[in-house]
Amino acid sequence: MRARPVAASLAVLGYIIMIVPILFVVVTAFSAGRTLRFPPQGFSLTWFEAAVTYDPFMESLVSSLYLAAGATVLALLLGVPATIAIHRGKIPGKGLIEGLFLSPLIVPELVVGLALYQQLMIGLGLDNLSTLLLGHTALLLPYAVRVTGASLALADPAVEEAARGLGAGPVRAFLTVTLPLLRPGLFSAALLGFVTSFNNVPLSLLLQDREFRTLPVTMLDYVQQSYNPRIAAMATLILAATVVVAVIAERTVGFARIFGGINQ
Amino acid sequence: MSPAAEFIGVTQRFGDFTAVDAIDLEIPEGKLTTLLGPSGCGKTTSLRMLAGYSRPTSGTIRIHGVDSTTLPPEKRGLGMVFQSYALFPHLTVAENVGYGLKLRKLPRAAVQQKVEETLELVGLAHLHKSKPKKLSGGQQQRVALARAIAIRPRLLLLDEPLSNLDARLRVQMRTELRRIQAETGLTVVLVTHDQDEALEMSDLMVLMRGGKIMQTGTPREVFSRPANRFVADFLGYENFLTDQTHTFSTVRPEHLILGAASDGSAALRLDATVVSTAYRGVDLLVTLDAVDGAGETVRLLADVRAGDGAGLTPGTRTTVSAAAAHLVPIAA
Repeated sequence: MRARPVAASLAVLGYIIMIVPILFVVVTAFSAGRTLRFPPQGFSLTWFEAAVTYDPFMESLVSSLYLAAGATVLALLLGVPATIAIHRGKIPGKGLIEGLFLSPLIVPELVVGLALYQQLMIGLGLDNLSTLLLGHTALLLPYAVRVTGASLALADPAVEEAARGLGAGPVRAFLTVTLPLLRPGLFSAALLGFVTSFNNVPLSLLLQDREFRTLPVTMLDYVQQSYNPRIAAMATLILAATVVVAVIAERTVGFARIFGGINQ
Repeated sequence: MSPAAEFIGVTQRFGDFTAVDAIDLEIPEGKLTTLLGPSGCGKTTSLRMLAGYSRPTSGTIRIHGVDSTTLPPEKRGLGMVFQSYALFPHLTVAENVGYGLKLRKLPRAAVQQKVEETLELVGLAHLHKSKPKKLSGGQQQRVALARAIAIRPRLLLLDEPLSNLDARLRVQMRTELRRIQAETGLTVVLVTHDQDEALEMSDLMVLMRGGKIMQTGTPREVFSRPANRFVADFLGYENFLTDQTHTFSTVRPEHLILGAASDGSAALRLDATVVSTAYRGVDLLVTLDAVDGAGETVRLLADVRAGDGAGLTPGTRTTVSAAAAHLVPIAA
């Protein structure tokens, strides 16, 4: 392979910019001191214990996981059939429909949140949880449509035709041939969607109430009030969980296949 | 015998574009029919309409005498080999071949036996557990063929099946496909743009252009008596001449004789000047200018044995002649 000094340096610089701040957080989490400070004072796991025994964190973590899972499932249930219709169907205005599904990427989330707040909660009188779920679902639709769309665009339409020719009706051909081909795309869309919902602050900030709070917003509230390593410990735990998920994804499906839908 | 399939006034339009223009065609039972023509001639569209993947704008398609124009593909019982092979990448070779059999609710043992027999037929019995991705292009092609044959299709449809293979393999597979067709007795419809492939493999050749059928016949009929200039051109006739009576005719480059051929049997004799020559080892391509019977200057191409053309250089004056049997009258 040819040496590319500029590209290599940029890559290293990129890694440094991304990873170093995270390292500071991780190191601080093991502090024995009482404030968020670098270098940390001493070494202890006290703050991890403090994080996992702190009810607001744990309750909101469960809420966040439920919300992310629910929104991901809903977004896939809506987005995947829409994608198939857009790519394979004979419907007029395909571009417009796809644009509509992708629009949550472009419209600022605060605007979406405010609109949902006005229309669904004030207008229709929907409760916080439903509105939040709908909001997150809308937020994840672009991923469901775009990522599964990318793997659908790569799949040879003749494969489904071949199944039809061999005697499979449209539904069976979809279930036995098209769906298995879309699996990496679906996995990828689910992963991206879940993480996006889990990390979301603006929508959750606007739409949640006291009973149902998501973890990022709870953590945001926490830092505004107390400046101790508990927050760093919680962040480190999330980071660790993310790494585990990433490793599992790499081992089972492989990043090349998950994100191949976009790059290849 | 009644035809295996019929196109009756079949037209296919995509927007303003007429891909297939009111064609009438009978596909004979138990024979290999090729649809031959340049890209965009409507051959693949015709095949897709026959398979049920595309519905004609107008006209009727009958399969074994039954109007099947609007029948979905899964109800037609045809086997199709796609240009891209379209193998199921998540299934093994045996599962690919068994896909159609399973749908027919055959018992497992019967499916397995059928799969083995079919893989045997295409020479792939040893690869039944492999995934398609691990196979070479030629092997994938055989799997696609086996998958289509396994269901004992009423018709076997092949869309440019050999075009993704390298040159040597392509020639081998022509013989192979003919063998399989003979062994199974299947009615085959093959789409190709390669006239050599069509000539070598067909029982019946259908030449298409611009959505219309230009000529139908056995390879010998079509090759020796092209119906019009397009067919002649497509099959490698290079020389087009008009005589005093305004009859239009054509001669193949290898049938033009240079220099004195004075046995009196020649139906054509023109004075000509050599424009250029191209040495090709066995033969020599000679480009000439001549004045034909209608007084027009025409560019001619002669394909002579390299030894016979030794003295020809640009500017050499000579005569060209052709035997009556080789001068083919065609529609202008």
